[in-house]
Amino acid sequence: MIDNDLNFAIQAQNLNIFYGNFRAVKDVNLSIERKKVTAIIGPSGCGKSTVLRSFNRMNELVPSARSEGQVLFSGYNIYDRQVDPVEVRRRIGMVFQKPNPFTKSIYENVAWGARLNGFKGGIGNPSMDEWVEYCLHKAALWDEVKDKLKQSGLSLSGGQQQRLCIARALAVSPEVILMDEPASALDPIATLKIEELMRELAEEYTIIVVTHNMQQAARVSDYTAFFNMDENRAGYLVEFGPTPQIFTNPQNKLTEDYVTGRFG
Amino acid sequence: MSIPTNGKRLTPHFESNLPPRNRKATLWRTLFQLSTTIGMIMLMLLLYNIINASFGLVAIDNKIDPASLAVDGVPIEELDQETLITIIKENVSKGKFRQLEREQPLAERTWDEVYQVVIDDVVQPKDIVGTWSLVESLTRKEEIVAEVEQEHPQATVKFTSWIDPQFVTSPQSSDVLKAGVRTALLGTLLIIAITIVIALPIGIGAAIYLEEYASDNWVNRMIQTNINNLAGVPSIIYGMLGLAIFVRAMKPITSGAIFGFTDPTTANGRTILSAGLTLSLLVLPVLIINVQEAIRAVPNSLREGAYGLGATKWQTIWYHVLPNAIPGILTGAILSISRAIGETAPLVVIGAATYITFDPNSPFSKFTTLPIQIYQWTSRAQGEYHNIAAAAILVLLTLLLSLNATAILLRNRYSRRY
Amino acid sequence: MTRERFDRQLQLLLDQVLVLGSMVEQAVLDSLAALQRRDLVAARSIYEQDIKINKKRYSIESECVTLIATQQPMARDVRFLAAIIEIITELERIGDYAKGICKITLLLSEEEIDPILIYELQQMANLGLDMLRRALDAFVDGDAVIARQIPMEDTKVDQLYNQLYHKLMEQMTTDITTVDRANHIMWAAHNLERMADRVTNICERIVYVATGEMKELDTT
Repeated sequence: MIDNDLNFAIQAQNLNIFYGNFRAVKDVNLSIERKKVTAIIGPSGCGKSTVLRSFNRMNELVPSARSEGQVLFSGYNIYDRQVDPVEVRRRIGMVFQKPNPFTKSIYENVAWGARLNGFKGGIGNPSMDEWVEYCLHKAALWDEVKDKLKQSGLSLSGGQQQRLCIARALAVSPEVILMDEPASALDPIATLKIEELMRELAEEYTIIVVTHNMQQAARVSDYTAFFNMDENRAGYLVEFGPTPQIFTNPQNKLTEDYVTGRFG
Repeated sequence: MSIPTNGKRLTPHFESNLPPRNRKATLWRTLFQLSTTIGMIMLMLLLYNIINASFGLVAIDNKIDPASLAVDGVPIEELDQETLITIIKENVSKGKFRQLEREQPLAERTWDEVYQVVIDDVVQPKDIVGTWSLVESLTRKEEIVAEVEQEHPQATVKFTSWIDPQFVTSPQSSDVLKAGVRTALLGTLLIIAITIVIALPIGIGAAIYLEEYASDNWVNRMIQTNINNLAGVPSIIYGMLGLAIFVRAMKPITSGAIFGFTDPTTANGRTILSAGLTLSLLVLPVLIINVQEAIRAVPNSLREGAYGLGATKWQTIWYHVLPNAIPGILTGAILSISRAIGETAPLVVIGAATYITFDPNSPFSKFTTLPIQIYQWTSRAQGEYHNIAAAAILVLLTLLLSLNATAILLRNRYSRRY
Repeated sequence: MTRERFDRQLQLLLDQVLVLGSMVEQAVLDSLAALQRRDLVAARSIYEQDIKINKKRYSIESECVTLIATQQPMARDVRFLAAIIEIITELERIGDYAKGICKITLLLSEEEIDPILIYELQQMANLGLDMLRRALDAFVDGDAVIARQIPMEDTKVDQLYNQLYHKLMEQMTTDITTVDRANHIMWAAHNLERMADRVTNICERIVYVATGEMKELDTT
């Protein structure tokens, strides 16, 4: 057990991420506060998604990926040899850029993950039906799909599909939800619904969202981390602070240039 | 960030080149249409040929007048068994006689049985004096009848379809009129069943391993290259491989000796099991490649979604990758089975029997298959064999199409869900 | 450079603020000159010109709101626009003070006024206007250092005001008939003292744009 400050859901310490010999992310030290929305912004290629995916060990799906440093979660370094990545991913969930519901019914989409992780109904515990309904409610999707739970998940619109993916992530009871540009493939109205949802979810879960839309980061988050790319194309953390500060009075000139759009 | 143009404004000149571009486009389209048309024409010709030969007029004559067989004025119905046996011996080919003896010695048979043999094989052999194709039969009917009247006054002319239920259910026979494809059909079906049971699990398993589990090192790349190359190896080489390994080296297993089957005729390992194993090997590379393609076609986003929920690799594959790859896998299965059904050369090398009349009833039986049967019939000189060969081809095509249709239906059923 | 168009729009806006500043400055100078000459016609004219100042202020404000809505300004840009809205309000108030002085000129009409009093009013005005000019220059340059110093000169203006106040109080207590006149002069002086306070507010905004801090600036 490592004694990490329990105000923080996730802490990255001296995190470096490599693809083969190429260092994609350099010396990141970042502490994510519990039950708040933290946004990660920065120009293309600065490693935002890489850092996000390192928080639930999704990087390992790429064969040449390797990390040095620690990511602390709930008392453990998730990169420790004894830690099972499967368990990490259950407790740190993920929503992806392009909605990717399973090719199953809406009900099954939500239920599958729960069942997989040993969901047991019964006396005193919610049944699977109740749990699916609860998760769909939390994802602000229940009213729209309650009559068609058996229909394919792919029959929904883009925004609904993304909310289904959120419901699916909620179904395994994570503590942290990572969102990789969750609204970038959606129209403005669907985007706003997702943003609203993020704020509601933050009451119960810690949310970390990567976005290339600055205004979205400004609207939605409590804290913002600005990443940039150095001359070796390695991403590094430039500035991290409360969102109002980052967007009205950033301390670092690079941050100022980026948020005012005078970058490059 | 304005693009430096020194403030000048450039006006480009475009020459209208629409007509030649359209002409070129039309030319290519015509070429492609032409190739499709040629393909369709070839297909039509093939079908025409087969159907033409499968139906038509046939002139049948009795080979031997039953009365002429009477010995010393006694009609055959009253002759004793021994005499009957002599008559048989004199009137039937040596090979046929030996075959009859092998099935059951004539002396040990009842009188009725021997009499039936006389009727079937001596009197009844209907001599076919002429066959005509469908088109001819339809267009020149009167001429043909007149021709036959002239040359074989005793012969009857009738319209047959060479393919009929009797054809499918009758065993092999040297008599064209009685010959059927049952033996060959059963052989084909049994062999294909074994091929499917062996090749599908191994092929799908290998493809899953190569696509999902194997890391990208030189060993696995070499394996992949080998599989790709094996898909192009001529099938007769697989036949030789099967001969060496399954027929000879694994003789105790494939002949069933170690399981207690001691049929002397199959002691050499030339059994359905060997044939099935050989075809499995033949079909495996193509199957693996197709299944790999199908698995590769499953979008990675589905896998990521599953992993993101805390699924293990196997759970992801079983619940998401495989179900979504089923259309492709079924396509691969169709291709493999179709290829296997049509293979002739390797099975000949393995040792398909040239003439068996009893049905194969176990994996350790001797066998023949439809393509081999067709080959044997088409290589005979007499014209009437070509007709039943055509009929057998129709049976083969029907089998093929129905297997394909089943697979396509299955594929559609699974695709409809998405 | 990205945002060239936005930068041009911001520059245009800044120019308009300077125009407003000079309009207001001129109005104060002219109103005091009219008072000195006892020129009622000029006073009335300046009084009515105040409408133009108000219009200008609203047009600048409206442009700011448009830019905020359409350009999503952040950090320094958004502080700049927020500061402009506040600064033009202060300028418009100063314009109102000039208008007030004109009103006083009209009310005093033919009455006799001690020229020394008017001279002292003009001194207050000059000090205040000098502070204003330098503040607007500091705003253009984004110079927080100078902006922090200017408010300290407010003390001089306050001193002049206190001087004038005591003088008028003395006058009023000795000769009751001068109370009406003295009151008007007092009111004019009060306006000019408030003008210097407004410049202090402007300086606070300049510091805010430069550093992001909102703090009251010491006038001592």
